[in-house]
Amino acid sequence: MAYKKPLPQPNADTRPFWDGCKQHQLRFQKCRDCQYIRWPPSIICPLCYSQDTEWIVASGKGKIYTFTVYHQAFHKSFENDLPYVTAIVELEEGPRLLSNIVGCSPEEVRCDMPVEVIWEDINEEFTLPKFKVITKPNGDS
Amino acid sequence: MSLKDKYAIVGIGYTHQGRVPARTALSFYVEACANAIKDAGLGREDIDGLICYRHFQPAPGEREVTPYITAQRLGLAPKYLSQEANCARSHLHHALGVLEAGLCNYVVIAYADNALSSQRMFDEIDPNKAVFGQFGYPAEYAMAAQRAMHTFRTGPETWKEIAVGQRKWANLNPSAYFCDRPLTYEDYYRSRWVVEPFRTVDVCLINDGGRAYVVTSVERARDLRHRPVVIMGIGQHNPSSYIDQSTCMAGPSGAKVAGETAFSMAEITLGDIDACEIYDCFTYTVEITLQDYGFFEPGEGQDWFKDGAIGPGGSLPVNTSGGQLSEAYFMGLTPLTEAAMQLMGRCGDRQLGPKTNTKEPEIVLCSDNGATLQTHCCTILRRF
Ligand SMILES: [Zn+2]
Repeated sequence: MAYKKPLPQPNADTRPFWDGCKQHQLRFQKCRDCQYIRWPPSIICPLCYSQDTEWIVASGKGKIYTFTVYHQAFHKSFENDLPYVTAIVELEEGPRLLSNIVGCSPEEVRCDMPVEVIWEDINEEFTLPKFKVITKPNGDS
Repeated sequence: MSLKDKYAIVGIGYTHQGRVPARTALSFYVEACANAIKDAGLGREDIDGLICYRHFQPAPGEREVTPYITAQRLGLAPKYLSQEANCARSHLHHALGVLEAGLCNYVVIAYADNALSSQRMFDEIDPNKAVFGQFGYPAEYAMAAQRAMHTFRTGPETWKEIAVGQRKWANLNPSAYFCDRPLTYEDYYRSRWVVEPFRTVDVCLINDGGRAYVVTSVERARDLRHRPVVIMGIGQHNPSSYIDQSTCMAGPSGAKVAGETAFSMAEITLGDIDACEIYDCFTYTVEITLQDYGFFEPGEGQDWFKDGAIGPGGSLPVNTSGGQLSEAYFMGLTPLTEAAMQLMGRCGDRQLGPKTNTKEPEIVLCSDNGATLQTHCCTILRRF
């Protein structure tokens, strides 16, 4: 079945991030001068204005900074997902990323819960980074 | 050199508001501006500055409303016409700038839209957020509110007091959208989720209509129709940040520095404030704004708001028109024009003073806020 939800619209700044996702890698820019890892992508470091930049691959682990639970669909393609969770995930490396928390009931989601990236290959061109709560071996989250 | 007490609001323009079908956005701009100019006792030949909001995509069949078009339809040929007008927070700053520079004598500031009838105010989609099912400001403020609930004591128990308190003011205001609709605590909890933790009653109105006001020097204001409303202090702060990276969600928001700047210019303290008109896109915005201004410590809002503290007869009236939650949404013009009308003594049944068992206002604090708590303007007004 064709994917009906809105697709990412990469631009010159964000293309490397989405290319990374396709290869199941979370890529962020790191300033070679002050080591700051930034998001969203930009031509210069917002802290030291250096343009000397490399792309690093993040661990994919982080925690939920905040979230919200959708009980109404603002776009038809999300109707079957209700209720669903959008969240801002704070990655170990620093950047905060808007995504979804999947694989658990929305009532279980809390701020600061540890999460890790999972990959959703939505079509030939794009893969979305989503996050699931890390469950400890004894079953507690 | 301080701007304190140099400039004043001298006229307010209203239009029909609420659900007003078969009207273009431009028609509301033109009507609001004309009414503000007439209200001040001025003519179109007096107006040499015009600043209009310009952001939302026009409804089908309508042109984008630019200040140029609005000026033309009003028969104005201003010496200053703002073409960069996405941020309503900065409009009064722009006006004071051109007045102080001597470039203009009378500036009109306006916001209008036919957002309700044309069903399109918050439907702009950021594709890279929509990918994850994130649509519009309610969700972003809901995220901020969620983080606040995690950081200090807040939540629906606090926000219900704001929604209910403001609705009581709206019930005294014949032009308020919810004038005839009381709101109880039970109603609050029965209201359905928009994006949790926000219910419908936590979210501002989408409506048709326009609002405008005229600013001039206190010297010129003396000769006009109404008792001028003097700008004592103004401050703006923009700790700008993409929503993902926002550090403002649970405060301090832009309100903190903006408030400090305005109070410093006005040379007053919180205790001098008789009422507040706070930008209330969401209930939580009112809480975090008053908290960041310093009215209470983080988490103490729940106690501060209770027992009808902000409603008629309350200890500190807040959003006396009903605000954007219960009167009408006109960006920062909803709070600012209501403050001016209160200080002019023109508010009818909701007038602060003996009529509503509150103090007759000398000084009113106003806020305007944007993005997700990242851009803020604080304005302190006083009676002349
Ligand atoms: Zn750097």
